[in-house]
Amino acid sequence: MPDMKRRRMRRLGSGALAVAVTAALAGCGMTIPSDVEGTLDAVTGGVLEVGVTPNPPYVDTSDEQPTGSEVDLVTSFADSVGATLEWTEGSEQTLVGLLEAGEIDLVIGGLTDDTPWSERAALTRAYAQAEQADGSSKGLVMLAPMGENAFLSALERHLDAETAGRS
Amino acid sequence: MSLLGGRELPEAQARALRKARTLEWAVLAYTAGTIVLVALVMGNSQAMQTAWVEDILSTIPQLAFLAALPFVRRAATAKHPYGYHRAMGVGHLVAAVALLAVGANLCFEAISGLVKQEHPPIGTMQVFGVTLWQGWLMIAVMAVIMIPPFFYGRAKMKLAKQLHNKLLYADADMAQADWTTNAGSIVGVLGIGLGIWWLDGAAALFISAGILWDGLKNTRASVLDLMDMRATTYDQSEPDPVHEQVDELLRGLGWVRDAASRIRDEGQVFHVEAYVVPKRAKVKVTDVDRAVAAVQALDWRVHDVSVSIVQELDLPEQQEERQERRRRGSR
Repeated sequence: MPDMKRRRMRRLGSGALAVAVTAALAGCGMTIPSDVEGTLDAVTGGVLEVGVTPNPPYVDTSDEQPTGSEVDLVTSFADSVGATLEWTEGSEQTLVGLLEAGEIDLVIGGLTDDTPWSERAALTRAYAQAEQADGSSKGLVMLAPMGENAFLSALERHLDAETAGRS
Repeated sequence: MSLLGGRELPEAQARALRKARTLEWAVLAYTAGTIVLVALVMGNSQAMQTAWVEDILSTIPQLAFLAALPFVRRAATAKHPYGYHRAMGVGHLVAAVALLAVGANLCFEAISGLVKQEHPPIGTMQVFGVTLWQGWLMIAVMAVIMIPPFFYGRAKMKLAKQLHNKLLYADADMAQADWTTNAGSIVGVLGIGLGIWWLDGAAALFISAGILWDGLKNTRASVLDLMDMRATTYDQSEPDPVHEQVDELLRGLGWVRDAASRIRDEGQVFHVEAYVVPKRAKVKVTDVDRAVAAVQALDWRVHDVSVSIVQELDLPEQQEERQERRRRGSR
């Protein structure tokens, strides 16, 4: 019986501790979620490096500057955080490699939510549905670096706002 | 209806057994709900995924108990002359080995995630049109489902004690320690939220080590039971007092010079083999029959009793005592 009581006390204690820690962290100006590598901070007012794989109508690289619906979404996101854009064109594999190495911040190219790159990159929540060649419908996603959760969340919120009227 | 080994249970135990069965079913239904709920929010947090697997694993001892119950209720048959009591012990062993194997696997995954420095991504989720960081949902769910195991764990513990059921004890013990899993996963998710990527893997390791430990503890306990260790209290912490009571009762009979016994703990009931040295060479059959009945009346758990008349006591207990005496004498 005293053992039970002690355990319950410990539980109350740990609950109170969790609340206190959260409050203390909020007080120190820590935000949840935060990035492991600080991508959102670096991008804000800085440069957003985006990897593009041609996949019209989402991404078209036939002109000098990339165009397409995903390019537009990324451009408006960059505007919202005051970032200038730099584009890197490459295959998905090359771009995911650069993403993992921290060379670029984002990969677009009409990727869908069942992409095999989910092991190596963080998928955004699907921002729209798209009809595939086989007639099935899949969610469209972008690839962010693993563990950059403030950046990922900011991007998802932006995509939500941009597609709110359309999907 | 409240039979155990084909014999009527005392009123208190019959009620406890009914309660235990109802409670196990209720907790199973509840756990099915939490499994779905956690699956909906768990995302990419390794700690959450580990906690989810633990949730699923926690149903195995309960299922084993419910599966074994109809068997242990049965009376002994010609084919199974000792009854079906071991069904409980077998269920316990199966559940324990499952915990052990999955716990080891999860430990390995947590460690490999830490070694590979995997940074778990957690994005946002839309709930009723509001975009929320998914981590907050995870924390909320884990904090809420942290509480019920305290209550049902305690209730199960009480029943396990009353019923002398080791499987139920193991189940209750795990339920009472369940909050550490939830607290661990909350720490892991908060870690991800703060950008401390390794905290998630560390929390997953902590949770899986808990599962592994449960597996080890229960494998040991169930194997000891199945290997006919002497009868112990329901938590195996000390020898069961019933052994002492049997010996004392027999030694107290008028025609008995000395007596000793060994008890097989069948998981929930005892089979007693008693050895009696009579004062005279002639022993009345009715005296032996009465001794058997008296031992059986000692405790509801004493199911099967055989009394042998012998010249000299030669159980392992006496052999060890003799050896001890010889060793002391030679010194």
